[in-house]
Amino acid sequence: MQQIPKEMFQPAAAELGEAEKISRPSLSYWKDVAIRFRKNKLAMFGLVLLVLLVFMAIFGPHMTKYDYATNDLMNTNQPPSSKHWFGTDDLGRDVFARTWYGARISLFIGLAAALIDLLIGVLWGGISGLRGGRTDEVMMRIADILWAVPYLLLVIILMVVLGQGLGTMILAMTITGWINMARIVRGQVLQLKSQEYVLASQTLGASTSRIMFKHLIPNAMGPILVTLTLSIPSAIFTEAFLSYLGLGVPQPLASWGTMASDGVQAMQYYPWRLFFPATFICLTIFAFNVVGDGLRDALDPRLRK
Amino acid sequence: MAEKQKLIEIKNLKQHFNVGHGQVIKAVDGITFDIYKGETLGLVGESGCGKSTTGRTIIGLYQATSGEVLLNGVSVHGKKSPKELKMLKRKMQMIFQDPYASLNPRMTVADIIAEGIDIHGLAKTKEERMKRVYELLETVGLNREHANRYPHEFSGGQRQRIGIARALAVEPEFIIADEPISALDVSIQAQVVNLMKRLQREKGLTYLFIAHDLSMVKYISDRIGVMYFGKMVELAEAEELYRNPIHPYTKALLSAIPLPDPETERVRRRAIYDPSQHQYKDGESLEFREITPGHFVLCSEEEYKKYKAMHS
Ligand SMILES: Nc1ncnc2c1ncn2[C@@H]1O[C@H](COP(=O)(O)OP(=O)(O)O)[C@@H](O)[C@H]1O
Ligand SMILES: [Mg+2]
Repeated sequence: MQQIPKEMFQPAAAELGEAEKISRPSLSYWKDVAIRFRKNKLAMFGLVLLVLLVFMAIFGPHMTKYDYATNDLMNTNQPPSSKHWFGTDDLGRDVFARTWYGARISLFIGLAAALIDLLIGVLWGGISGLRGGRTDEVMMRIADILWAVPYLLLVIILMVVLGQGLGTMILAMTITGWINMARIVRGQVLQLKSQEYVLASQTLGASTSRIMFKHLIPNAMGPILVTLTLSIPSAIFTEAFLSYLGLGVPQPLASWGTMASDGVQAMQYYPWRLFFPATFICLTIFAFNVVGDGLRDALDPRLRK
Repeated sequence: MAEKQKLIEIKNLKQHFNVGHGQVIKAVDGITFDIYKGETLGLVGESGCGKSTTGRTIIGLYQATSGEVLLNGVSVHGKKSPKELKMLKRKMQMIFQDPYASLNPRMTVADIIAEGIDIHGLAKTKEERMKRVYELLETVGLNREHANRYPHEFSGGQRQRIGIARALAVEPEFIIADEPISALDVSIQAQVVNLMKRLQREKGLTYLFIAHDLSMVKYISDRIGVMYFGKMVELAEAEELYRNPIHPYTKALLSAIPLPDPETERVRRRAIYDPSQHQYKDGESLEFREITPGHFVLCSEEEYKKYKAMHS
């Protein structure tokens, strides 16, 4: 090896001032999230789709002079026309009005699922994980037991007591719909609570709720959103499926599931009766998925470019 | 020496972890020492010997299995009113090892530093809060433009400064620094150590400085304690420990420090510590005994006589 004489070594000067500079302009957290979300084209498309769906769910049924529940036996199974934009069904009801009425039910179910996940699932899992020990064990055993109850069976049993309808489905969801979220959040909290920033917060004297809402939940937001974007469309689909089986909302209420179920029987002759509800089920589920993905990425400041 | 005032007294502190299947890890197994006001006590020992656990038990992150910790003569563990507890929390703070895990990635630097201010209600208005944050940023050598940034935008050394600012926000008397520099580049290590020294002078802080090797602690510590498997095996003034190490484990640790001069480094021999070399008999009690004034070693009665004869 070549020998370098001692005299050639010189201490390097520390340049503190230069090293402490960062060039990017600073922004608030939510502005930053919005910017990153907007850059994601697919997520923006999904968001526009959702806004349109909500808009049509609110105003759609009023845009046509036809009512979703009024039979018109003189005009059954009409194809889409300037009078009936999406055609009519076998009882002569306007499919356009019924589609947007169905959107209300689907979006309502989705909203209910999200609220149940957030209010029960996140808190249940969060408290269970943070407290640990006996509390954790008892809370998770309760969740395990509820997990073992099949949703379909629960809906059918509750239907016997409460009758068929949206309320029954939501009650069944309140009982079992949040378990997956609770488990995911608990796993996250178990992992996050030993992080040094949580310990630092504890040594500063932070309360349990501060640790939960400032440190644990914000850092578990990614998995929470992913779970939400799976459980909202799954609730929408479950409602459609139950309605398709005849276990959902009773006639003459319109749900995408009941409409599709009726439409399937006449698929070969009157395809529009299946096409519209089926398309909107797909679009809604797609929109929730891409918006969820986009949100998850946008919420993580580490992904900022 | 006599006018030294005890800030922290640790008495026979034990922290045993129950890891299930009837197994117990004795992470900290009966250690006793004092920390004087205004000094830096270095705590060294290899990874897994219980240094972090010691620090975390002292500060109350873990419930001690047994033993006592006194701050200014008052026990910090056990039943306390929420108000007393909050007061105690302010007096002891911690700086962590991993500059990447010790700052919440979802919070701005301002919110991170102001966390203690928010918890203890130390600022009455938003302006006052930001003013404190700016002051603290400048104290640790960062500037106010950094307040609205996120941790991931900073280097390891800068993050460690943010962690220090967060601890300083509640005006503590005592700071436990758990390997604050071991995750940093060597060139940055000195900067952080110098910052900590300056803060100690300016604010009269007392440090428990944890490190896994002896090379850097020498420059910051007044006294050094050496830990081995949950026990403290030697405690002495820094100079004394380097010049006259007594316990064979301390000797082994010292022999592991690389020397700056390549000529002497080439002939450096590493000593290996083998616990069986003590040849303790059954029933022999090991105690922390004072060999020369202020120099304590964990030893048996027999070893005590031997050490005493050798070192006086
Ligand atoms: N929360 C815990 N539960 C169980 N064992 C632990 C826990 N924390 C630390 N330990 C164990 O205690 C011992 C000491 O760990 P630690 O204090 O982190 O060592 P050091 O900081 O000196 O590297 C290790 O064997 C470690 O596995
Ligand atoms: Mg450690």
